[in-house]
Amino acid sequence: MKYDIVIIGGGMAGLVSSIYLSKKGYKTALVSKGDPICCISSGCIDLLKTDDNPLENIGNLPEVHPYRRAGKENVKKSFVYFKEMMEEAGLPYYGEEETNRTIFSPIAKKRETALVPMSMKEADIRNGESLHIISFKGIKDFFPGYFTDKFSNSKCSVYNDAGKTTISIATQFDNSDFRERFFNWIGDLNISEDKIAVPAILGTKNPEYIMAEIESRTGKKIFEIPTLPPSIPGLRLFRTMKAHAVKHGVDLFWGDAISEYKEDKNRISSLIINKPGRPTIIEGKSFILATGSFVSGGLFAEKTDVRETVFNLPVSIPEEEERLNSNFFNPGHPIGKAGIRTFENYKPKDSKLENLFIAGSILENSQIMKYQCGHGLALVTGLEAAVNCEEYLK
Amino acid sequence: MIKTDVIIIGGGATGTGIARDLALRGIGHCLLEKKDFAAGATGACHGLLHSGGRYAVNDPEAAQECISENQILRKIGKKCVEFTEGLFLRLPGDTVEYRDKFLESCYSTGISTELYSASRTLELVPNLNPALLEAVKVPDCSIDPFRLCMLNAESSESRGGTILIHHKVIEIIKEKGVCVGVKAEDQFSGEMKEIRAKVIINASGAWGSQVARMSGSDVPMSLSKGSLVIANHRLTNMVINRLRPASNGDIIVPNETVSLAGTTSIHVQDPDNLSISHEEIGLISREASQMIPEFDSVRLIRSYTGVRPLLKGGSGDDRAISRGFKIIDHKNGMFSIMGGKLTTYRLMAEKMTDRIMEHFGINEPCTTAEKPLEGQDDLSGYPLSKRLKKLDDIICECELVSRKEVERVIDKVGTKFIGDIQHRTRLGMGPCQGGFCTYRALGLMQEKGKVTSDESIRVLKEFLNRRYRGIRPVLWGDQMREEQLVEGIYLGILGLAE
Repeated sequence: MKYDIVIIGGGMAGLVSSIYLSKKGYKTALVSKGDPICCISSGCIDLLKTDDNPLENIGNLPEVHPYRRAGKENVKKSFVYFKEMMEEAGLPYYGEEETNRTIFSPIAKKRETALVPMSMKEADIRNGESLHIISFKGIKDFFPGYFTDKFSNSKCSVYNDAGKTTISIATQFDNSDFRERFFNWIGDLNISEDKIAVPAILGTKNPEYIMAEIESRTGKKIFEIPTLPPSIPGLRLFRTMKAHAVKHGVDLFWGDAISEYKEDKNRISSLIINKPGRPTIIEGKSFILATGSFVSGGLFAEKTDVRETVFNLPVSIPEEEERLNSNFFNPGHPIGKAGIRTFENYKPKDSKLENLFIAGSILENSQIMKYQCGHGLALVTGLEAAVNCEEYLK
Repeated sequence: MIKTDVIIIGGGATGTGIARDLALRGIGHCLLEKKDFAAGATGACHGLLHSGGRYAVNDPEAAQECISENQILRKIGKKCVEFTEGLFLRLPGDTVEYRDKFLESCYSTGISTELYSASRTLELVPNLNPALLEAVKVPDCSIDPFRLCMLNAESSESRGGTILIHHKVIEIIKEKGVCVGVKAEDQFSGEMKEIRAKVIINASGAWGSQVARMSGSDVPMSLSKGSLVIANHRLTNMVINRLRPASNGDIIVPNETVSLAGTTSIHVQDPDNLSISHEEIGLISREASQMIPEFDSVRLIRSYTGVRPLLKGGSGDDRAISRGFKIIDHKNGMFSIMGGKLTTYRLMAEKMTDRIMEHFGINEPCTTAEKPLEGQDDLSGYPLSKRLKKLDDIICECELVSRKEVERVIDKVGTKFIGDIQHRTRLGMGPCQGGFCTYRALGLMQEKGKVTSDESIRVLKEFLNRRYRGIRPVLWGDQMREEQLVEGIYLGILGLAE
């Protein structure tokens, strides 16, 4: 199997770059050893944590941050690309790059983000608006008291007969009999509050049709509150993008790790996937590495050193002293700076590999927790790396 | 204002042990602890019920106390103590001379020993260093210090004693030069309480000097920091020691589902300001892996450190200071009990209580060596069969703690503190170190009206900072992956960053 581009890593960066390149007519493969961390995220696309204009504030980031290299215009372009792509894929996103929207965390804390899925569009509530919280009996990861404590004019109703985990309840919502029972129940509540809030469990697919029915039965707008992993909005985002990639001709190699790569005159020529029984060889003209940071397995910390897990690229890490003197709410652990150092064109520094490009949180100094820019950074650098890869192939 | 006979300052093994002893002898008392039970050296040790072997050669008196208390605690605290037995390994480089001296000293102090060949030893614990030469078996045990303190405290409370945890003594009230009571601050509400008594016992371990100074007295102490690490697995079913003079990192103790290894011994000044360096962790891992090679690559889930409150001696080496204990009568209504160790906590409590009885002129003998700790079945460790029965609704997936169990503890203890649930159920003690379940436990407390939602968020933040301090020194491998996930949950999804 020979490809123009082989992308390693099935998270946001890998998916978006594979879709972009495949749409451009390149023969594209996406290799992932498993489902990405993206499917336990809130499903929102953070650009940058700020009370102000997130796009403008990119200028205030340290010069070494990957956003600075991409520049405001390209960040904007990437976000617009994403919105169009998700519209086409059937899971539309809302929001502007110039203003953050508000969503609620499961402990009723307000949190800023740039783009939200349709199910969180109504979360931007105005002062004084009252909420009706819907919870589920025995649910593990949602405690409505955080909301009823915070909003004195709110009420809570508990649905008795669903499941205890978010994923089991969401699966129930995929079933029309269950939905009908739930619709009847919520209709009978005669909700008088301004809006309805519910933990994010309204089905594993785009919940637009469920929300529309609830709105028609109650006369109220409804929004979802993202919960702890496994998070349904993250799952919807990932599944939709994966299906979209396949639809656009991306070949997926899913579920097995890369065991080795072959090199020919400073170029990676192929990857070998350790499929049980028979190894699969994937040949490519160029490669994009988007395997993420530690949590996704792109980086691995040994006791004294950090290694990159596919090509053994050199990794830059913050000083030990900085790491040891940190606290949990630094915020963002200093180790989030660890990553691959790259040139302007996203090729790795200190490596002789010429046909490799790096994208996503594995990039040095991305610090996605500190700046709250996870999906945004993956999206922007995924597309940037793809564009540079395209240049290289020309 | 509370009026009683005796005030005990300190909720470690010694303090709670004294509370139980006083209760059994019918003396009214009030115990004050600024944090949770076992928050000092009691909870920051190996959880090793010494046979005395470790002290046999250099400190025969301490060794004798250990073996006699070891036998008593195995009897009165069946559910707190796991009779694992222990091995002292002789590895290449450890001398025959020391072995002989060890066997001789154990014999003369009454510690039973058996000498095992290398092959016999490896049959018992197969993952030991295959280069070992031989081993001596002794009756070392694993003990749960948290459960021990809680049971002692329950004994006291059920007989009318007052136990106030999370109450910090701010002032010792003196009248005409005599201590007559204390002022204590509720660490949660900030409320001040005044407690009056005839006698004050200072059982505050490493904080002993600070407390004594409040009454205008002084106690000569030397503080020695010891750090330990927790490995993800139960690597051995027996306690493993090195057959050589006591040194750094030469003990591994199995505890429930995990193993603890340590310690170091570093002289410190301030018991409230401790940190763990990478060198310490490296040293412990290296030493432990000499006994169990797997220790070098095992996943470490946390490190912790505590301070041994040792009696000041002449020599500069803290390991050379006797692990014996001492009672000091400050002649102003306050007594301090200093030194000692977890294994001899009951004996210390007995001697201290004897002095109080003498002081009061009452003749009532100690019965703590015979009466089993009450309520043990309720707090009985880790019976997997019991946990698996309620598998339908698990709050802590690592340690299989059910919602019912957590709710039961909240109802019973009425707790505002996450530690109270952790120590009673093992919630949050597994690989993710409370990454998922702490939020849930606090949510349940909040649901039951024990804390407001703002308070629960404050407690959650404190917990995350404390947890991170323990994890920070062992951040590599899978623990690093886990940490980034937990960071994502709390800073990202929950939006806890300011």
